[in-house]
Amino acid sequence: MTSIETPTENPTRPAIARVQGLKVHFASKKGPVHAVDGVDFDIADGEMLGLVGETGCGKSVTGRAFLGLIPQPPARIAGGRILFRPRRREDTSEDTPEFRPCPTCKGADIVCATCNGSGYDTLDLLAVKPRTMRAIRGRRIAMIFQDPGKALNPILTIGDQLAEVFLQHASADLLADIGGTGDMGGLAAGAVGRAARQESGRLDGILSRVPPVRGHLRRLRAALEDRIAAALAETQISNPRRVIRSYPHELSGGMRQRVMIAQALACDPDLIIADEPTTALDVTIQAKIMELIKMLQEKRKTSVLYISHDLSLVRRTCDRVVVMYAGRVAEVGGVREVFAAPRHPYTRGLLDAIPRSGETRGVLASIPGTVPELVSPPPGCRFADRCVHVMPECTRVNPTLQPLTPDQSVSCFLAHPPAPGAAHKEPELQET
Amino acid sequence: MQLRDYVIRRLILLPFLIIGVSIIVFSLTRIAGSPIGVYLSHEMSAAEVAQLEERFHLNDPLWTQYFYWVKGVFQGDFGWSGVASAAVADVFPAKLAATMELSLFSAFVAVVLGLWLGTFAGSRRNQWQDHVTRVVAVSGASLPLFWFGILLLIVFWANLGWFPVGRSDADIWASINHPTGFYIIDAILAGSLTALWDAIWHLILPALTLGFGAVAIITRMMRSALVEELQQDYVDAARAKGLPERLVLRRHARRNALVPTVTVIGLTLAFLMQGAIAAEIIFRWPGLGRWMASAVVRGDQATIMTYVLFTSVLFLLTNLIVDIIYAKLDPRVRLGD
Ligand SMILES: Nc1ncnc2c1ncn2[C@@H]1O[C@H](COP(=O)(O)OP(=O)(O)O)[C@@H](O)[C@H]1O
Ligand code: SF4
Ligand SMILES: [Mg+2]
Repeated sequence: MTSIETPTENPTRPAIARVQGLKVHFASKKGPVHAVDGVDFDIADGEMLGLVGETGCGKSVTGRAFLGLIPQPPARIAGGRILFRPRRREDTSEDTPEFRPCPTCKGADIVCATCNGSGYDTLDLLAVKPRTMRAIRGRRIAMIFQDPGKALNPILTIGDQLAEVFLQHASADLLADIGGTGDMGGLAAGAVGRAARQESGRLDGILSRVPPVRGHLRRLRAALEDRIAAALAETQISNPRRVIRSYPHELSGGMRQRVMIAQALACDPDLIIADEPTTALDVTIQAKIMELIKMLQEKRKTSVLYISHDLSLVRRTCDRVVVMYAGRVAEVGGVREVFAAPRHPYTRGLLDAIPRSGETRGVLASIPGTVPELVSPPPGCRFADRCVHVMPECTRVNPTLQPLTPDQSVSCFLAHPPAPGAAHKEPELQET
Repeated sequence: MQLRDYVIRRLILLPFLIIGVSIIVFSLTRIAGSPIGVYLSHEMSAAEVAQLEERFHLNDPLWTQYFYWVKGVFQGDFGWSGVASAAVADVFPAKLAATMELSLFSAFVAVVLGLWLGTFAGSRRNQWQDHVTRVVAVSGASLPLFWFGILLLIVFWANLGWFPVGRSDADIWASINHPTGFYIIDAILAGSLTALWDAIWHLILPALTLGFGAVAIITRMMRSALVEELQQDYVDAARAKGLPERLVLRRHARRNALVPTVTVIGLTLAFLMQGAIAAEIIFRWPGLGRWMASAVVRGDQATIMTYVLFTSVLFLLTNLIVDIIYAKLDPRVRLGD
């Protein structure tokens, strides 16, 4: 079963995250919507993985599942796991007990084969406690949203919003920046420590006026501002000190997305979920923002899950690509392989639509029909009613994702005809 | 425009608005009846009536009468209140203090409770806590204030005898000094627990009557604003940064939800001044509202004019304060555009 369990494994690089059989259903009046219905793929450490498909095929839901940002209700995680192995870090003060050491090397071996030297065991992101999820959000896995105009709080300054990431995840660093609070009494040190963690105690309002505390708090704010300015400067924002004091509505769309990127990268996360980061932007700056993300990703060796429906951008920036259709994975593979020789009819349709993709958003001119209703979907291939190659098998049996080469897997009977006795038939369809 | 410039401009405009309001109300009161009506009786001779008419300049044109009234106001003479049998200016401060104590107390409780309940319900959308809050809020907004007040009066004063009516026990009131006219503050200044308890005990029923509707309106507004804000992307973005849910709610969603709610709070405070009339009558509260009600019935024009003048100033100032808070809360607001 190992090959079926991880059919999309990248043979050259170990995975930082692995999605297995992810199912997310949304309650609706007509019944549960199978928005994501058995998705498998993995993200190799340090790679940029594209996730493409038409609007509504479940890309955002898949991406949000990594951070536990799926509203429940109406949604329900109907099955699956998202395994995530954190990277090795100097500062482990933000880890929770659920960050367990690698069972083989106990975290000691930097060339351990099991954990690839990360020293950590894997965590199932769908099962961790809320506290662990909070420790992961922003620190280990960060998100860049589609519309920076909506993802920034309109009534807080850019500086206030970036400060939160540091206060939540880097308070130890901030306290180190100001030389610690060792020289202070317990009460005063407590107040400064709480300020560095974005907490407030009952007496902090009064304590913050006491001269030694006030001095420390002032230096804390200065240290915080230095870090924020550095984070903004990394995204090529020219005047960070001014931007810190700006409100979102005073910035252009491109600037706002740079701020979002700075915020996502602030704590040097292991993985970034970028959900259509350029879709809401002016066409003229889309490429610039993508180049920026790519440049920062390569510089830091961060892994990126890049969700997009713009195949030309995926082709230019990604290492591998996952093609989703109606809540399932149609095809996975290296960008070069998939773009040169698409094996799924849907992928072919998508690629044929590229020249027109400038005007057509989500609608595929070359494939007639639309994404099927995802309430009680029929058995068999989800693409059957739009596929020109449809065979009798296709409407009865669900084609599972099968590797064709080490670099490419496809779920289509054209590529791997259903074998009699079919190991890849769905259990409920097997004769008893 | 700078907030400071805006405030200055509004303050300069304020007197003109007040003059406008006073002209309209002066004309309307004179249309409603003669200012000497409250003094007339059957025993008066024609000569005495003519003398009264002369004193009130009723033979001069209306605008001359208006200027006599304005002149009086500038000299601190707001006229004679037939209802109170005293000069308006002498009675007004004490009555104002009584009304303000009642309305400010109700307003304070209504704002704190309304914002809290709205947050409580909005962050538990469609759970049972939300449904319970909704039932309370809808009844608060739909029960007529005077009916709710009479209900409280019947149950808690007439039947159970748990609460008194009026503003104070006469003996306790007389036992302390009243430098501010606010009974609670006076009691605290005098260090008298007995007086403090007496003040609060008398305040509860009328304040409940007056505040219930306001709580309901603020709660509903806060709840729906919060529900809407909680669906915004920036809330998920705040969660994605690793913020605990408590901070997501407090720092992000609730602060944005306050922006539309503040406007409603401003309107609610104006509504409280209206409601005070009914609440004061029901609970025999010796405030402006009860005085105003008798004045209207008996055609006591000096009192009516003073009351309206005062309420319009209060309303304009409340609006200005709401605008300032609004601009402070939301940096996108551009005042005066
Ligand atoms: N908040 C929600 N409530 C109900 N249904 C939802 C919600 N979010 C997503 N869905 C369902 O999930 C499907 C996939 O959504 P999504 O992942 O956003 O698609 P996309 O690939 O365009 O990002 C949608 O078609 C919709 O039916
Ligand atoms: S499995 Fe059948 S219907 Fe589905 S894509 Fe392949 S050929 Fe078309
Ligand atoms: Mg999407």
